Amino acid sequence: MSDIATRRKWDRAARSFDLMTGIGPDKRWEPAKRALFGRMGQGEILFLAIGTGLDIPFFPPGRRILGIDISPKMIAAAAPRVAAYRGELRAQVMDVHDLDLPDRSIDQVFTSCTFCSVPRPVEGLRQLYRVLKPGGELHMFEHTGSRLFPFGLMLHAMTPISRRVGPDMNRVTTANVVRAGFQLDRVQPVFLDVVKTISAHRPQD
Amino acid sequence: MERRAYFIAGDLLANLSTGAVAGAASALLVGPGWPMWLAMPAGMLLGMLLASVLGVAVFFRYFGAMEVMLPTALTGMLAGMLAAMWATMAPLGLAPAALLGVLCGYAALGLVYALDWHLKRSAPEQGT
Ligand SMILES: C[S@@+](CC[C@H](N)C(=O)[O-])C[C@H]1O[C@@H](n2cnc3c(N)ncnc32)[C@H](O)[C@@H]1O
Repeated sequence: MSDIATRRKWDRAARSFDLMTGIGPDKRWEPAKRALFGRMGQGEILFLAIGTGLDIPFFPPGRRILGIDISPKMIAAAAPRVAAYRGELRAQVMDVHDLDLPDRSIDQVFTSCTFCSVPRPVEGLRQLYRVLKPGGELHMFEHTGSRLFPFGLMLHAMTPISRRVGPDMNRVTTANVVRAGFQLDRVQPVFLDVVKTISAHRPQD
Repeated sequence: MERRAYFIAGDLLANLSTGAVAGAASALLVGPGWPMWLAMPAGMLLGMLLASVLGVAVFFRYFGAMEVMLPTALTGMLAGMLAAMWATMAPLGLAPAALLGVLCGYAALGLVYALDWHLKRSAPEQGT
């Protein structure tokens, strides 16, 4: 799928995104997301796929964050939450496959339900690797496929439909992180082996 | 494992009602003349389809995404399949089919909660 198609898909999804995810999923995942985003430090932070900004209230205050997303409509919807953040938060339209950021300029990258949606995940992760400083951290909140029967099969079966309007359900994100060159630090289950947090880092040179 | 009352109540509501609807719909679709080999997958598919429709229309937005989608899909599949199998062997009324579905909802949700608890206890580091 071309990136224009990806942008259009998420622009369309932006209209109903808060209605579909703003209560149930958002509140359900709040404790795990708060714990993950609580690891935001004082350096340069890249937040990939800011969406409509539902994650922003879970960010610790006083951080310096660049939030990016491929969808201009998502970024527009996020504007009030971006403005309400008590810290330095900028939101910008950017495709993770083509990051307009210098090499080794970022201390930490955070993602949230992102690599279910990015069309070429390993390529996207390699871009994150490129912009991270050596030793820089990657912290992800993601849903993936499953090794459990029958859930793995169900998620495979759902993906051809779900990907038309939103995310893939059967990604192998942890393996992709390793494939992109990161060193895995911790993978913690949030729900079954499907919803999880993944922490990794770019090794020192 | 989920401990917040709102989400536990939501999980119960989603699974029990999905089970009831899937069981009843399957009993409506399948009759005593159906061969078992056809009734089983037809009931499963119908149950899963109904679980997705109910999820998108009502439950996901209030109670969660994967945490609702996976157990309700399992509930729908089980309820649809069992009601269909039963209906091939003897006439199955809507109320008993719905009750069968409710029981499937309990069983599927219980299984998922137990699996989630077990995974977090025994394998905090996951693969995919
Ligand atoms: C499921 S949404 C998650 C949004 C937000 N993180 C949340 O959890 O509420 C996926 C997001 O990924 C964004 N996205 C998809 N492909 C992308 C890409 N190639 N580059 C940047 N963002 C992308 C979409 O626009 C969308 O906002």
